[in-house]
Amino acid sequence: MKPDRNKKKTSGGPANPSAPTTKRSTPAAGGSKRGSRGNSEDSEPTAGSEPVPVWLFVLMALMLYSGMSYLHTYGGGFNPKVYENFRSYKLVDSANPKSGPEMLIAKGEALYMVCAACHQVNGMGVAGQFPPLMGSEWVNEPNPARLIRIPLHGLSGPMQVKGQDWNSSMAALGSALSAEDIAAILSYIRQAWGNTAGPVTPAEVEAVIADTSSRSMDGSRPWTASELMSIEVAQ
Amino acid sequence: MTGMNTQSSETAAGQSPDQSAMSKSRVLEADKSCSVPVMFLLTWALAWLVGGGILAVVSSIKLHGPGFLAGSAWLTYGRVQPASIHALLYGFGFQAAIAVGLWMIARLGQAELMGRKGILLGGAFWNLGVCLGVFGILGGAGTGHPMLEMPGFVSPLLLVSYSLMGVWALITLHFRQVRSLYVSQWYLLAALFWFPWIFIAAQSSLVFHPVRGALQFVISSWYGHAVVALWLVPVALAVLFYFIPKLLGRPLHSKHLATFGFWTMALFAGWGGVQAGAPVPRWISSVCIVGGGLMLLPLIAVGMNWWFTARGAKPAQGDFVWGFIRFAAVAFFAAMLLDIGGRTRVIGEVTDLTVFSSGVYALYFYGVFGMSIAGAVYYLVPKITQTEWPSAQLIRWHYLGSMVGTVLITAALVVGGVIQGLRLNNADIAFVDALAKTVPFLGLSTLGGLILVAANVAFLLNLVRLLTVCCRCCCCLPWNGTANGNKAAAVGANL
Repeated sequence: MKPDRNKKKTSGGPANPSAPTTKRSTPAAGGSKRGSRGNSEDSEPTAGSEPVPVWLFVLMALMLYSGMSYLHTYGGGFNPKVYENFRSYKLVDSANPKSGPEMLIAKGEALYMVCAACHQVNGMGVAGQFPPLMGSEWVNEPNPARLIRIPLHGLSGPMQVKGQDWNSSMAALGSALSAEDIAAILSYIRQAWGNTAGPVTPAEVEAVIADTSSRSMDGSRPWTASELMSIEVAQ
Repeated sequence: MTGMNTQSSETAAGQSPDQSAMSKSRVLEADKSCSVPVMFLLTWALAWLVGGGILAVVSSIKLHGPGFLAGSAWLTYGRVQPASIHALLYGFGFQAAIAVGLWMIARLGQAELMGRKGILLGGAFWNLGVCLGVFGILGGAGTGHPMLEMPGFVSPLLLVSYSLMGVWALITLHFRQVRSLYVSQWYLLAALFWFPWIFIAAQSSLVFHPVRGALQFVISSWYGHAVVALWLVPVALAVLFYFIPKLLGRPLHSKHLATFGFWTMALFAGWGGVQAGAPVPRWISSVCIVGGGLMLLPLIAVGMNWWFTARGAKPAQGDFVWGFIRFAAVAFFAAMLLDIGGRTRVIGEVTDLTVFSSGVYALYFYGVFGMSIAGAVYYLVPKITQTEWPSAQLIRWHYLGSMVGTVLITAALVVGGVIQGLRLNNADIAFVDALAKTVPFLGLSTLGGLILVAANVAFLLNLVRLLTVCCRCCCCLPWNGTANGNKAAAVGANL
């Protein structure tokens, strides 16, 4: 398909650069048969050997480079899940509803703003007033049965968190938040800031609500630390 | 190419008259050997061009006059439109390309065309296949994949008859007397192999073992693009690379530049087909956009090559052939730029899902491919039949008509598509109003289609008149074998 360039050297033929101009005028006489326009029979097209200008190769390199960076920017990482309106899989992912614990955690992160008023966005609490959630043994307990009760009905009185004594009260949120909301918030705080406990499911919250149906969720009967400790939980 | 140079300078630098005369007689023999198969294919091709053009006009009228011929299921838009594409592309496009390609391979190699009976057989079956395809589509058995609408049973027939013709092109090329290959032969050879590849790939994954869901759309879009970029355009380029230097009587500027243009095109032409915004993963349309951008490289290389070849030159011969060739060369750049531009996200956002892409396809098909083929046909037919065109007036009409028709269709659909797209994207304009505004443009494109049909009728009429003249004196021509002569007579009688 492509001419063999080596041939040029060996054939010794007139593949000279002046070839383009040697062949201007060859309407030879012989071709005037019936039907032809007479002068073309012996002038099949030939090609000169001007070199390809260097800038064309430079342009090619530039275009290949910009093509690659275009694909890098707009190719969606060649991920089959990335369609037209998204630049990357990360954007697709964030625009899609989550499922299971992931969804709960994402929802909980947004709802945590309620809790952040006292416990702070970084989960460190406020020294002397509000205990920390980060690294707290109450938050990280493997079985969340005691933890679930705290936001449901509130908590007041003395308690120990991370070896320090605290004496303040927390409002009940059980009437303001749904079981799913509470599960979401608890799931979030149990994995945020280096906490490593597992997520809390809405079903677990529902179960605790059922167990404590005698206790009002309007904040009139908050838990005390000793009450909570006396609850039997399977660890 | 060096061998070509050798050969050219033989004639130019006045090598021994013996050799020059030998080469001349080999060219004559090559021309004569082509006559029966090439004329057979060309005549049928032009018949399909007229027939398919009429179907195209019918489908175009339906876009602005929905009541037109609406009574018959066979003539509903959903069948007539694909039938017209099928008849034009496979009936005219492939047959004319093969006919011109066979002649160029024989002529450039100064070798007799081999396997003429095989080619005739292949041509007959090809026409049978196209015919079955058209009736299959009109009868409602279309596959629904653009450009591949023919019923599944037709495609093996087409492939086998294509191979019957193509294999003789290869064998003729193998036995060529002029060993080195000219630029046109590269493109022809490449197209010869590209077509079966894209055809088999698309057919097998769409019709015989259909892939799932969105992937079908990707493959059929890719095929629709590839059949233009890897078949129609390479064949047109082969014709243009042949005739531009030839008619201007000077050598092509640079074979190295041609090499650059060929290989960059071979690498990047297939990267296309999926419009930005299509409901498929984003990387696919991004690759198509990058492929479009990279197609600027062959476009520049080909443009420079033609420009430096043609600069300041007047056609030494073939005035009306030059008209067609020049139009096709200019149309090539216009079509490529519209194509590349339409793929980008900025423009594609407007032109996607409008008539814009039909306009670009019309420019490729009628402007680039049709005009270059017409130029080649006007040149080669008198050579191979040794008969002058009977009517210069018909050629003039054909030239004017196809020029006006092509420009009208393309301009109407491209401009109409942009306006339609801008209005569709404007939330303040109702959908129906946006569509209504395109009706005048669709009417213009119908007018363009009608003019094209009239022009192509002039083309066909001239060819048929030439054939009757030619066949009347068939007996007195120095045929190489009586079998061929008889066949020519038989072909002529059928027409």
